[in-house]
Amino acid sequence: MGSSRIRGVIAALALAAAMTVAACGEKKEETPASSDSGGAATAKEDCGQVTLNEQAWAGSTANTYIAKAVLEDELGCQVEITKIAEIPVFQAMADGEVDAVLEDWQHTDEYKKYIEEAGTVVDGGPLGVEGHIGWFIPKYLMDANPEFASWEGLKGNEEMFKTAESGDQGMFLGGDPSYVQKDKELIKALDLNFKHVTAGAEPAQVARWTQLYKQEKPVIFYWYTPQFYNQQYELAEVELPERTPDCKDDAKSGGNPEQYKCAYDVTVIEKLFSKKFADSGSPAYDVLKNMELTNEDQEAVAKAIAGDKEDPEKAAQDWIAENQDTVQAWLG
Amino acid sequence: VAVASERLAAPAIAAPSSRWRGRPAQVGLVVLLMVVAFALWRDEFPWPLWLTWSELPAKLDDLQGWLLDERTAEDPNLIFAIFDGFRALADWLVTALTDMLEWLTWVGTAAAGTLLVWRFGGLRAALVVLAAFASFALMGLWEQSIQTLALMLAAVVLSLVIGMPIGVWAGRSQRVHRAITPALDAMQIVPAFAYLMPVVILFSVGPAAAVICTMIYAIPPAVRITALGIRGVTHDTVEASNAFGATRLQTLFKVQLPLARRQLLLSVNQTIMFALSLVVIAGLIGGRGLGDVVTNGLYSNASLALLAGVAIVIMAIALDRATAAIAERTDPIHRHLTDEGRRRARLATVGVLVAIAAIALVARALGVDAVYPDEFETASYVYTATIEDTLLDWIQSVLDYVQDPTSFVFGITEPIGNFLVEYALEPLRVWLVEMPWFVTIAGMGAIAFLASGLRPAITVVLMLLAIGIMGVWEPAMDTASQVLVATAIAVALGIAIGVWAAESPRVERLLRPLLDTLQTLPQLVYIIPFIYLMPVSRVPGVVASVLYAVPVVIRLVTSGVRNVPREAVEAASAFGATQKQVLMKVKIPLARDAIMLGVNQGIIMVLAVVVIGGLVGSGALGDEVARGLQRNEFGQGVVASLAILALGIALDRVTQSKGRRNRGQFR
Repeated sequence: MGSSRIRGVIAALALAAAMTVAACGEKKEETPASSDSGGAATAKEDCGQVTLNEQAWAGSTANTYIAKAVLEDELGCQVEITKIAEIPVFQAMADGEVDAVLEDWQHTDEYKKYIEEAGTVVDGGPLGVEGHIGWFIPKYLMDANPEFASWEGLKGNEEMFKTAESGDQGMFLGGDPSYVQKDKELIKALDLNFKHVTAGAEPAQVARWTQLYKQEKPVIFYWYTPQFYNQQYELAEVELPERTPDCKDDAKSGGNPEQYKCAYDVTVIEKLFSKKFADSGSPAYDVLKNMELTNEDQEAVAKAIAGDKEDPEKAAQDWIAENQDTVQAWLG
Repeated sequence: VAVASERLAAPAIAAPSSRWRGRPAQVGLVVLLMVVAFALWRDEFPWPLWLTWSELPAKLDDLQGWLLDERTAEDPNLIFAIFDGFRALADWLVTALTDMLEWLTWVGTAAAGTLLVWRFGGLRAALVVLAAFASFALMGLWEQSIQTLALMLAAVVLSLVIGMPIGVWAGRSQRVHRAITPALDAMQIVPAFAYLMPVVILFSVGPAAAVICTMIYAIPPAVRITALGIRGVTHDTVEASNAFGATRLQTLFKVQLPLARRQLLLSVNQTIMFALSLVVIAGLIGGRGLGDVVTNGLYSNASLALLAGVAIVIMAIALDRATAAIAERTDPIHRHLTDEGRRRARLATVGVLVAIAAIALVARALGVDAVYPDEFETASYVYTATIEDTLLDWIQSVLDYVQDPTSFVFGITEPIGNFLVEYALEPLRVWLVEMPWFVTIAGMGAIAFLASGLRPAITVVLMLLAIGIMGVWEPAMDTASQVLVATAIAVALGIAIGVWAAESPRVERLLRPLLDTLQTLPQLVYIIPFIYLMPVSRVPGVVASVLYAVPVVIRLVTSGVRNVPREAVEAASAFGATQKQVLMKVKIPLARDAIMLGVNQGIIMVLAVVVIGGLVGSGALGDEVARGLQRNEFGQGVVASLAILALGIALDRVTQSKGRRNRGQFR
């Protein structure tokens, strides 16, 4: 009796498989020669496996996949990509579970703990991409209200930004709570009549301001570059008071709002390596250490991936093909 | 799943037998007094600094720092060696399972799952499993699904190995049971975000860490249902066994365990369900698979995240149907096997195993891939093997519609969102935050006393005091306002739909798959459309909690109304009551206990979504918990988590009603 059952199941499986092919099989004109990558005549050293951590945002996907393509095609490494959250990944590097993070936005507390004190993570120098945080508004709003070019122009006009959530005050849309920020303190220090409204994680914040943007309504929010949305939406920046020497950016520690009363500093984005990886003598380490990108490079690839929904591998390879000089420089 | 989800409510709740003796007029008076106090001293008495233990978060940070130092110390102490051993075991288990599934090839894996379920659970369940495998393949998410499956199986096995013996122990000793219940409550209510970082410090990242986080959440149902099963074996049976001179162990193994078999299998089923709900969080710390796709897709590819969410639901439904069917079919009460039948059954099992091995070997010989491929190649054609792109396009077009602020739907949902903020959330928040703190505590205590009795009232007062002392009074009151609004909506909807479903079996049948989906779909996934449709920051969180809580309320209300004694209904009809009168005057009043239980469970479910709400702009406690991980404000995150727990206990005691404490599941 067992065999008749089994026959039935095989039939069912075959049917399912047939349906699969019938339902979705699209004939292509010709068989593409599938994997021709990595065939270049470069001498392949003994690279072994490299684990890179991709952070949750598209810019990180872009530089991680560029690195992956270069390491695989030029050095013959086997690259694995993990996706661990920003803070836990420090411990992952300390344990040697992750070899490198290519885009870290200055987690100074962790630098102190893992780089200075424990020495289990090493600073790999800047990626070349520079982060810039600020207050942004849609360009149409700036055109209609040129005085918004500076924060002083906002004063008295806060009501224009009123929403259901902000009551009588104007709404200031705060950034992803996991990012470095001090807007609550800035609003207080600058004595503006804004209510700081948290939109939550970045995708939720983007949903909020793009919704208002599409309705051509006024909106002011925490935003940053490089960010691929900047190629999709026309934004303008509100100038904040000039930086002073002791001015702080991360209001995590709280305290007197006055100490945060200035524009955000430029954020140097760091590459970080696991100590174990740095000491391993892997050729991949040297290449990653040399790797540098500009904001434009990163934004373009990120937009191809997140905006145009291209496959990250393909987007990275396209960029490499067009920027051979840059890549050759990393290879030394 | 419907059956299972009804059971889902079971572990957290006691038997539905509450006795609401609330005196509505008195409760009303208390609320009125609170309103008067609010009017008199509005915003004059915020939580006082002298009653705040402000160093608490810093102390907790130090604790984590100490842990980190110990972990990286030159000669680690024994405890860490044990953790390392456990980590190695969990890692090995996940890797071995993944390797095995890959060795089987995709054809073999699908065949193995389907055949085993067919053998032990019957044809219907097997077809569900087969359909699930087919959909993972078609969605182009085969590899991630297999990774998630391996992770889940490892977590479930380990949870059961630890949970079942504790459950047996708790089932046999009232003292043990009472001692571990608070721990189990805490494990289920404290959000996983709070302990993610310590877990990473102790177990690093990767499958092991993901398994351990999942276990913290999945062990409680294993313990609870096992204990329930052991206790369910009647006293008489146990006494009879003792009378025949059986030892305690003999009674356990020959009488209690076999008779509790169904419950034990049920606990397997529930452990799986709870484990699956942590899959997304596990993605944050290197647990691969579908959870990974959801958490990361949210930032760069929302439609892929949604698709992966659907795959999780399909996996949940298939695993649930399979384990429920197996529990049913192998129950000795329903099976009267002759020796011949037993022999045949064994033969069938062997046959199935041989068949799986044969299929896998043939597949390997034919060069079938380990994972389902994206394309099938023949000599001259390449067939796309998945419909992933089509599905993604379709989801994207839905998202595009949702994102369009000129759409018809947006025209309806936006005003609703704004209305909720302006007329419910904000007034209630202001009321709770600006009310003198001692009035809030006294008022809540008084309501708890009237509704539930003295002991619950004391608990409520202590919990609220703890929240204040931890220094999170204001965000906790903010969260409380959102929880209350969400619960009110969930209860109103739940009662209306639940009564309707109880009256019409057809409605209930139609609802079932929808409710199953709502309970298993990761909240982060279904929250996405609402972020666009109701762009007011606190509303999507409220909507997500309502959607999560409403199935439980509906199910409790439906079964409550259904279980009203037939005699009462017949008597009322005999006296000439119309159908509507029977419903309003007989059924609903008699189902009041079940309905109150629905309110109580609704609150607990709503609290479970607070952290997710923090990720979409609810702010308050959820925001602080999420930030605890993301910005490494560990101490603050733990404090906020404890406040959620305290709030949960307080609201539970206010609504739990008289009588249930004494007439709980364990008499």
